Amino acid sequence: MTAAPEIIVRPRFRLEPYVQFAQKAMAREATYRFDVFTSVASVLVRVYLLRMVWVALYARNAAPSELPLHAIITYSTVALLMGLVMDIDQTRQLHDKLHSGSIATDFMKPIIVPLYFFADGSGEVLFHAALIVPSLLLALFIVHIDVPNAFVLAAFFVSFFLGYLVGFCINFILNCVAFWTLEIHAVQLIVTWVTDLFGGEIIPLVIFPVFLQKIAFVLPFAAMFSTPLLIYVGVIRPERYAAAIGLQAFWLAVLAGIATLMWRAGAKRVIVQGG
Amino acid sequence: MKHLRVMLGVYQQYWRINILTTLEYRENFLLWFGFTFVYHGSAIAALWIVLNRFPSMNGWTFRDMAFLYGLWMVAHALHNTFFSTVGDIPEHIRDGEFDRLLVRPLDTLFQAIATPGQVFPDELILAIITLAAATWYSGVQVDATFLIFVPLIVAGGALIDLAFNLFISTVAFWFVRVDALRWIVIQLEQEFTRYPISIYSRGVRLLLTFVVPFAFMNYFPARYFLHKAHEGAVLPAGAGLLTPVIGIVFVALAYVFWRIGLNRYSGVGH
Repeated sequence: MTAAPEIIVRPRFRLEPYVQFAQKAMAREATYRFDVFTSVASVLVRVYLLRMVWVALYARNAAPSELPLHAIITYSTVALLMGLVMDIDQTRQLHDKLHSGSIATDFMKPIIVPLYFFADGSGEVLFHAALIVPSLLLALFIVHIDVPNAFVLAAFFVSFFLGYLVGFCINFILNCVAFWTLEIHAVQLIVTWVTDLFGGEIIPLVIFPVFLQKIAFVLPFAAMFSTPLLIYVGVIRPERYAAAIGLQAFWLAVLAGIATLMWRAGAKRVIVQGG
Repeated sequence: MKHLRVMLGVYQQYWRINILTTLEYRENFLLWFGFTFVYHGSAIAALWIVLNRFPSMNGWTFRDMAFLYGLWMVAHALHNTFFSTVGDIPEHIRDGEFDRLLVRPLDTLFQAIATPGQVFPDELILAIITLAAATWYSGVQVDATFLIFVPLIVAGGALIDLAFNLFISTVAFWFVRVDALRWIVIQLEQEFTRYPISIYSRGVRLLLTFVVPFAFMNYFPARYFLHKAHEGAVLPAGAGLLTPVIGIVFVALAYVFWRIGLNRYSGVGH
């Protein structure tokens, strides 16, 4: 018996469709105007709140030498602004499509499906990234933010981008779980709270007690917020940039590998079930 | 009187269905319980981490803050257990389900509250355990005042929560989508009940006392039971026992607003 002929013809890769997907996603996000207002307002409230919290804590206690008050306020504010893009689940569509079953038609389209999710998510994220500008300008009425020199800033952006990709992979992996069980919302929220705490989004990891610091720094979540932020405020010095960004790249590779494996296994399941 | 008996019967059925649903979807329930546990656990862990490094926040230690959190947690869980369904009203309005409640011979708000879902008192149980532990840990004296007032205070706190929940749901009579507004208020409450309000500027303290009285859910009562100094206080210590009154007043205001919205409501055009 001969093997079945290969009927799947791989289309030649073209970038344009993905640019279109991203633009569509941006337009979709722009229709929720009140949500835009909410996310900016919520950032500003939290900037105020964290400023008051740190001021109160620094007033009555010995300040840690590596993070004076102005540095920790800068840290919190930049973290909240990063949150505007980092806290979005860009791959939510994957879960929704698995739920409704419409993923089946996506498999028939001449596109690379994970890349479609990446493009769609990036469009959404780019739209929210635009909110950073007004949020930042308004935040400056509440707090003073330190601005490091251009070299540090460049390293920060490289690290932030890697952190974004790590976050994308984590979200993608969680949404892939929906291939096996559709009820993933609770699991996602659990991971969100753990990420918030161990990623250094709310509290800088260098303030953690030593044993917790050891745990937090070996978890992949630190690659999302902590590394870029510690570069920004100067706790991670230029001579350690290579190691810090290298570790982020390592986590990105590991998580991307897991995401690929889960996607392959999940996609096979959909096809076996007949969509 | 007969009316009341009918309502009681409906309410019993409501809880029966809730519990049966929870038992039916056991794995789902366990996942959500895991979420509740991690949510409160990570909030308390964050407080502990910060106060481990900075032992005092305006004179409040981690032990004090644990009690502050416990009070809020019970009030909030009490609301989530008995009144979270009020938050589903905008959804019922949007999909037209709400109109069915209007033609039935029982109070509309009561029916909305008693719309079964998958409610289970797991968060409430967890909250009561947390408050008991925090009371012991913070060394608050458990005397007659405590035993009489703490149940009233958490009930009053739950009413404050209900007032805002009902208020936001009523807004849906005018603007169909209120999710963003609800999200803001939930977040404000969560953030501004976590720390003693004495750390904020005067305007914010007044706001949290008289306009959005979240400070009555936990700050004023905790200050009373912990015998904290009146630093930056808006009100004297005894205000800590007023929570039930504040809760009733705010629910009454929200109910008036609800009646106005209900009278004006004429469907969303299904």
